[in-house]
Amino acid sequence: MSEREGYSQEVQRFLDEEPDAQLTERARVDAERFREALARYASSLPVPGRELDAAVMSVVGARPLGGVRGLVRWLFRPRPVLLRPVLIAAGLVATTALGWWLGQQGGSPPVPGALIAEAPTVLVRFELRAPEAVQVALSGSFTGWDSEGVALSKNAQTGVWSVTVPLPLGEHEYSFVIDGQRWIPDPKAHAQVDDGFGQTNSVIVVGPRGVVRS
Amino acid sequence: MMGRGSTRVARRSSASFDEDTLSRPQVTRYFCVRVRVSWCRRMSVPDEVVVQRILAGEAELFRILVRRYREEFARYAASLCGDADVAADAMQEAFIRAFDALDSCREPARFKAWFFRILTNQCHNARRGLGVRGRLDDIVVTAADRADAGVSDEELREAIDAALGQLTPEQREAFVLKHVDGRSYAEIADLLGVGEDALKMRVHRARDALKKLLEPWS
Repeated sequence: MSEREGYSQEVQRFLDEEPDAQLTERARVDAERFREALARYASSLPVPGRELDAAVMSVVGARPLGGVRGLVRWLFRPRPVLLRPVLIAAGLVATTALGWWLGQQGGSPPVPGALIAEAPTVLVRFELRAPEAVQVALSGSFTGWDSEGVALSKNAQTGVWSVTVPLPLGEHEYSFVIDGQRWIPDPKAHAQVDDGFGQTNSVIVVGPRGVVRS
Repeated sequence: MMGRGSTRVARRSSASFDEDTLSRPQVTRYFCVRVRVSWCRRMSVPDEVVVQRILAGEAELFRILVRRYREEFARYAASLCGDADVAADAMQEAFIRAFDALDSCREPARFKAWFFRILTNQCHNARRGLGVRGRLDDIVVTAADRADAGVSDEELREAIDAALGQLTPEQREAFVLKHVDGRSYAEIADLLGVGEDALKMRVHRARDALKKLLEPWS
């Protein structure tokens, strides 16, 4: 647009509120008309009310502040939580039931408390071939020499009884108890000792890397 | 401010905080007459303080900034967008974006200029999405035809909106801030980060473009 089509420099200076702007009568009319039109225009523009405030706050109130720091603050900021007591009770019951059920799902057979030794322990497998026996148990210094001991399982095809127990590191004496009456030492053990009552016990030595000697 | 100290009983009220002072209104008792005195110590809390407290976790204080700049920039947004509803949407989106990015506002004391930039971009995007709403020539002819009967505010607004649509975004921003918001060149320069001479040039060209529109009323 050329200069002639626009306002004169005097009008421009007047509208710029220059203190020394001098206007002819014609130029003053142009300037006043411009001002009046813009004033009417400005006053006709709508201004959104508080509904906009509410709309913005409904959005930003439910989200964390920007940036990682804002997210961290939002995550750690305490806020009130409404809970129904009946739901709390139901949750506790469900948690207890789940814990009990998970406990029941444990696959390994129960091990006598005497065998749950303090760490470190090593799992040791004991075997005895006794096809005619009805029941075989393992008893030793690690079970308190209880005659019931730890029951062995029988392989019906081979007639071999076996069990795996965790033993603490160190030297242990033991024997097998057949049918709850007959105590016999482990025929595969490398060391046997006299128990002082006319019987023989087997000896096993457990090290950090397994059985050192049996 | 509050005389008669012996009879004065000031205490905290249970009312919610004052949005300008971030304090709860105080009540003073003069001879059994309770007077709310918070008005006499009203002083707007600077943006810097509000922003810092929002970032410290008081997100609800963002409402103060929304109210403060919704009122101040409403006409600017409406004029820049050329449509009231679109402008309201643009303002809402600008506030939400500002909140999301508040952590990156490096100069909280200049939140106003920072938000202004976000709002301006949002308005330009909204206007682009709106498309061309009418040709300037058509609207000028309409105004000229009805000059004898006078032009309604609505017609005038449509005509000027269309005329502003012919300007470059930079000219439109400067012109609206000058003649719709009535700001000084110094204030506009601070908001836009542009020198005053360059701003005057933009405004002069915008005025010249509008002169043709205003001739029918001579």
